[in-house]
Amino acid sequence: MKPGLLAFVAVFWLALSAPASAATYRVDDSATIPAESSATLRWRHFAPSKGGDNTVEGVTKVQVRLNLTPWVKRNGRLYLVLPEQPPGRVTVRWSTQGRLLPGQLVTGQRALVYAGPISTTLLDETLVLQIETDGTRLNSTHRLNFHFEIDVD
Amino acid sequence: MRLTDFAGLAQTCVAVGLLACPAAQAFTVSISSGNPRAIYLQVGVGSFSGLYNSGGTPLANPTVNIVSVTVPTAAVGSGTAQVMASNTGATRSFYDNFVFCNAGQLYVGGFYRFNNNTAGAGATLTANSATAMTNSSGDTIPFTQISWVSSGNGESGAQPFPSGTFTGGTQSIGTIARNQWAESCMTFSYSNSSIRAAGTYSGTVTYTLTAP
Repeated sequence: MKPGLLAFVAVFWLALSAPASAATYRVDDSATIPAESSATLRWRHFAPSKGGDNTVEGVTKVQVRLNLTPWVKRNGRLYLVLPEQPPGRVTVRWSTQGRLLPGQLVTGQRALVYAGPISTTLLDETLVLQIETDGTRLNSTHRLNFHFEIDVD
Repeated sequence: MRLTDFAGLAQTCVAVGLLACPAAQAFTVSISSGNPRAIYLQVGVGSFSGLYNSGGTPLANPTVNIVSVTVPTAAVGSGTAQVMASNTGATRSFYDNFVFCNAGQLYVGGFYRFNNNTAGAGATLTANSATAMTNSSGDTIPFTQISWVSSGNGESGAQPFPSGTFTGGTQSIGTIARNQWAESCMTFSYSNSSIRAAGTYSGTVTYTLTAP
């Protein structure tokens, strides 16, 4: 290998492996597994209302595994993010087993689930998601895309 | 050109993949509607487990209600309409327990649930009055002699099931829009426009709510 190319690779590798600087990063949650293939949402009120309450709701469980390796021994704030997406406004509330914070958010928002030192490379947690949306828009199966991101100091 | 650029970026990622190619950074939860369609129709008395406001759900009630009037002998065929009264006693709406109808009126209500409001029609309420009323001698009075006025306590706008007259066939009574609860109270009257043979005349009108 030519010295110049070797130096480039070395710099590139260092850039990739160096601790992340203060900024926001997407967290590798590729090992996260939903407990069900599809969460079934049912009408909150079986009968429609004159005022138009068409909410459907349902509960599902997600086994979360976050790879925090790049930020070990740093302080950070983890967020659960639900970007804007079809079928429109979705409200999600969740409970946890204690490693992450419970909370709620709607599409287009992120919510804090952890703040403090990152002391583990892999963080496992179970989220029980309660999902609500407008049932008149849920005329097919939709895939809700979540992700986690971290702000590091 | 952008596609070519993207391909080049992807190849770069593969080349260093063992070191730094990022894993998929998102998880998905699929959601679907579990019980998207439902209709409910109540003509006269009905049954509900509690009230809508408290999460109630409709129940089946096979009762056939009676709407009747006794025309005084001196008034038979006078042309003065005779107000009829129902025997239901169903004056409260299962929507909120409000006294929506008055004594003697016939409550007609229902709902239509569907998980798509963007296209398509509502549910249609029809009535079939094809078979005339008969007495024990076989004399008949067609249902075209019966009409109704619709109202609802506390409501001043148009009724979902407006006033009308039976046609002696199948006719539309009204429509329930998607994801709406609709109700009206009907006060029936007999036109009393011709002299009929004495007797008790009875017949049945069947209401049907149909979702597309």
